[in-house]
Amino acid sequence: MSELKRTSLYQKHLELKAKMVDFGGWEMPIQYQNLKEEVISVRERVGVFDVSHMGEFYVTGRQALDFVDYIVTNDIRSAAPGKAIYSPMLNEQGGIVDDLIVYKVSDSELFICVNAANIEKDFSAMSQFASKFDCKFENLSQNYSLLALQGPQSFQVLKELLPEINDIGYYSIQILESEKEVKSFIARTGYTGEDGFEIFGSHNFIERLWSEMMDKGVQPCGLGSRDVLRLEACFSLYGNELNDELTPLETGLKWTVKMAKDDFVGKKALSESEPRYRLVKLSLEKGIPRAGYPVEDDNGQQIGVITSGSMSVCLGKGIALARLDKNLYQDSEKLNINIRNKIYPAVVNKKPFISGRTKS
Amino acid sequence: MSKIIDGYLYTEEHEWIHVEGETATIGITDFAQSSLGDIVFVELPEEGEELEAGNSFGVVESIKSVSDLYTPLTGKVVEKNSTVEETPENLNEDPYGGWLIKMSVNDSSQLDSLMDSNAYKEFCESL
Repeated sequence: MSELKRTSLYQKHLELKAKMVDFGGWEMPIQYQNLKEEVISVRERVGVFDVSHMGEFYVTGRQALDFVDYIVTNDIRSAAPGKAIYSPMLNEQGGIVDDLIVYKVSDSELFICVNAANIEKDFSAMSQFASKFDCKFENLSQNYSLLALQGPQSFQVLKELLPEINDIGYYSIQILESEKEVKSFIARTGYTGEDGFEIFGSHNFIERLWSEMMDKGVQPCGLGSRDVLRLEACFSLYGNELNDELTPLETGLKWTVKMAKDDFVGKKALSESEPRYRLVKLSLEKGIPRAGYPVEDDNGQQIGVITSGSMSVCLGKGIALARLDKNLYQDSEKLNINIRNKIYPAVVNKKPFISGRTKS
Repeated sequence: MSKIIDGYLYTEEHEWIHVEGETATIGITDFAQSSLGDIVFVELPEEGEELEAGNSFGVVESIKSVSDLYTPLTGKVVEKNSTVEETPENLNEDPYGGWLIKMSVNDSSQLDSLMDSNAYKEFCESL
């Protein structure tokens, strides 16, 4: 087993007595003192996550936009400069290679942020196509650290630390002109369902920012609370809800697929495929669903599986995302979850458990 | 430093056992509740259920994890703590007060392999 990678904030996590775990080859904080407190801080005040393990790719040149628009399903072309766009990236079979965010600085300069565990896979898959375009495609992950400052007070806190920032809109970005070491920017994005920012910058800059946030009493948050928060907002996690075998049409991501685009990797396969699964949101009055538990209909037939489950801190009950077989699921609002061979009734929710809290 | 009670016996799975006559009361230790974090769900066996040493008899769940409960003894469940099923969070406050089950001790030689408070303290420190 190869040695675990560490972010530039590793020592600071140890000083804060974080519980560290192996997450996709990275030694990351899963929680500091109390996971519940971390979740509540983000929902009610503000919390910060070290997500420096995530990957940053940089695309520049005359055909930078053409290249990026070709490798993802969402429409990058018609997005205005200064916008962030969430999108899956597919293989030729229509399976999801990764889900990522594109930051469009201009038509000739774009950043792509990808999942930590997929950095090598994505870079190699994307590189195959990059050579067909007049653009420069670089993996700058080693040069960047990344913080996610999340919660209703995040703008107020960040403005005090970085006076140059503006009250930008949701899924917008702003370049930090004062930072010279690497091209740095903030984006009003996140993975919690709350208002918040992600801050991309050099290791030095991010370490300084982290310390200043600690001095201001911002709650440090680990991957454990991050997972509860994203599940409450019903955001998919690569490896759980999404993988190379599933298409975006089978995982609740149809809204990110723009079939009207000229072409994109996987378009042909997608247009010929019939979705096999549906992703649904479940909540339980009793019992806690966990990934892998079977989902059954009233006759006891298994019709799917839990992909992510947890106790919701905000709702005080079990919540889950589940992948159901389209042919077996008859749109029933009530299903059963088999937990250690006991049947627990679950309700299919139409809306995320937490919604409408991000900036419009 | 987590709390350990003298006179109780302990397992490597961080359960405590308090033996009075023919009956053993079983719970989870302070070390266990602290490493689990916020306990949100407890599932216990019904009274009368026969338990086999080394087998799982229930689960304790925190927000993010599921942990099996193991009995080191063979015997019958004589009582379960229904209060702890209704208010599992109390286990974080008072893991020694919030016992889980009382069971009969069929074979008292099974107690010999358990740790006393000193041995358990050393065991925790070695982790």
